[in-house]
Amino acid sequence: MLPEEKTGILGWGSYIPRWRIDLKEIADLWGFNPEQPEELAVLEKSVAGVDEDAVTMGWEAALNALKRAGINPGEIGAVWFGTESKPYAVKPSATIIAEALGITPKTMASDWEFACRAASEAIRVAIGAVASGLVKYALVIGSDTAQANPGDVLEFTASSAATALIIGPRDEAAAFFEASASFVTDTPDFWRRDHSRYPLHGEAFTGEPAYFKHIVGAVKLLFEKTGLKPEDFDYAVFHQPNGTFPIRVARMLGIPREKVLPGLVTPYIGNSYNSSALIGLSKILDEAKPGQRILLAPFGSGAGADAYSIVVTERVLERQSKALKVEDYLKRKHLISYAKYAKNRRLINRIV
Amino acid sequence: MKISIPPSWRNRVARYRLTATKCRDCGRTLYPPSEVCRVCGSRNVEEVELINEKAKLVTWTIIYSAMDGFEDRKPVILGVVETVESKARILAPLTDILPEELKAGLLMEPVLRRISEEGEVGLIHYGVAYRPLIKP
Ligand SMILES: [Zn+2]
Repeated sequence: MLPEEKTGILGWGSYIPRWRIDLKEIADLWGFNPEQPEELAVLEKSVAGVDEDAVTMGWEAALNALKRAGINPGEIGAVWFGTESKPYAVKPSATIIAEALGITPKTMASDWEFACRAASEAIRVAIGAVASGLVKYALVIGSDTAQANPGDVLEFTASSAATALIIGPRDEAAAFFEASASFVTDTPDFWRRDHSRYPLHGEAFTGEPAYFKHIVGAVKLLFEKTGLKPEDFDYAVFHQPNGTFPIRVARMLGIPREKVLPGLVTPYIGNSYNSSALIGLSKILDEAKPGQRILLAPFGSGAGADAYSIVVTERVLERQSKALKVEDYLKRKHLISYAKYAKNRRLINRIV
Repeated sequence: MKISIPPSWRNRVARYRLTATKCRDCGRTLYPPSEVCRVCGSRNVEEVELINEKAKLVTWTIIYSAMDGFEDRKPVILGVVETVESKARILAPLTDILPEELKAGLLMEPVLRRISEEGEVGLIHYGVAYRPLIKP
């Protein structure tokens, strides 16, 4: 028996800010080809409000996950927060959320960093911690208010959202893990140095040598480990930097786009980094039926990917309506101007 | 605006989870919490948390000349809400709402937000704001 098989997802939840910007505004302001948003297959992106950050968004996602799991917060033994937009450079975000949700003090709590994949590595470690009995439940949160240099092509997609999972014993789970695998190399596709406000990216590195190589690598490892084939999965959800990469990587793996579309959220909100693949999983769990199998493959620059096989149980049905769904947040939207977006995301320099 | 760390830190749980006190004698729930019931003077009070309760918008004010540190939030909207079951009245910032959407009786829910921060290098203070209830 693999350690993964002893564990599962008890609760899941996401959060998307109310504010959106139409990408045509970004294309117009910076003089991009007006077709650029359609080429990326992203139409709007979510923008956190002036009083929001990765902590506040992560709190709401975690609260939704707790409502679904129906457990006592005090029994959570690990709060692991994956982000690349920590409100404090030094001071854990995880402790703020743990305190606010009543999980403190008998718990581990820390922030993880691996570009968009930090929360995914935390999921694999949470599986190990639960399977070994070190903790009963673990709360993993992926939350980002993604930054992009104004005028950089990344600005079209860098967005804000959060997703949280409560991982615990399989016999309490709404979906259990069958197996998982990781694939990591030193690849300079995207980085941000200390004291630099915005990340940079190696133009030629972002596609083939980074995203595609690592996701295909991790998923093939998972297939080898389990003997599962593309046709065994009902859904596939990948890291979603734009609306086209997930469809392309699925095709490379022999997975039809119909299995990718239900978890594809980026066209409506952009790339929410640590929540990017996980919000797709969250949306699928909002709608999934018992017995269905989900392939989850997050990716993070620098670079690495993970692949998980997840099987939905009958408990999913009673938990789907216990908290707001991804669709509820997708529907709650109000378009703002580039000027308001720039103010909200502090792209305008003021003396304070 | 600099907030001294000890009082802010001592009150953090009350601010994160909306800790209030319910009077066992007159039944009123009061926020912020207090060891003595501010209605009947009884000391027979218990702590309750209001973070899971919806509330109705009672009244509000729109502040166009906000104090230092709140310039990027103007206009600041402060509201008084009444929790639906415990009938506690709470003064709190309103968020995710446009001035033209304000309406008495609007159903609201509490959310954790950045309430204030001490410039670019000081502490960030988190607390509860109310936003219009998101209906499934
Ligand atoms: Zn009283």
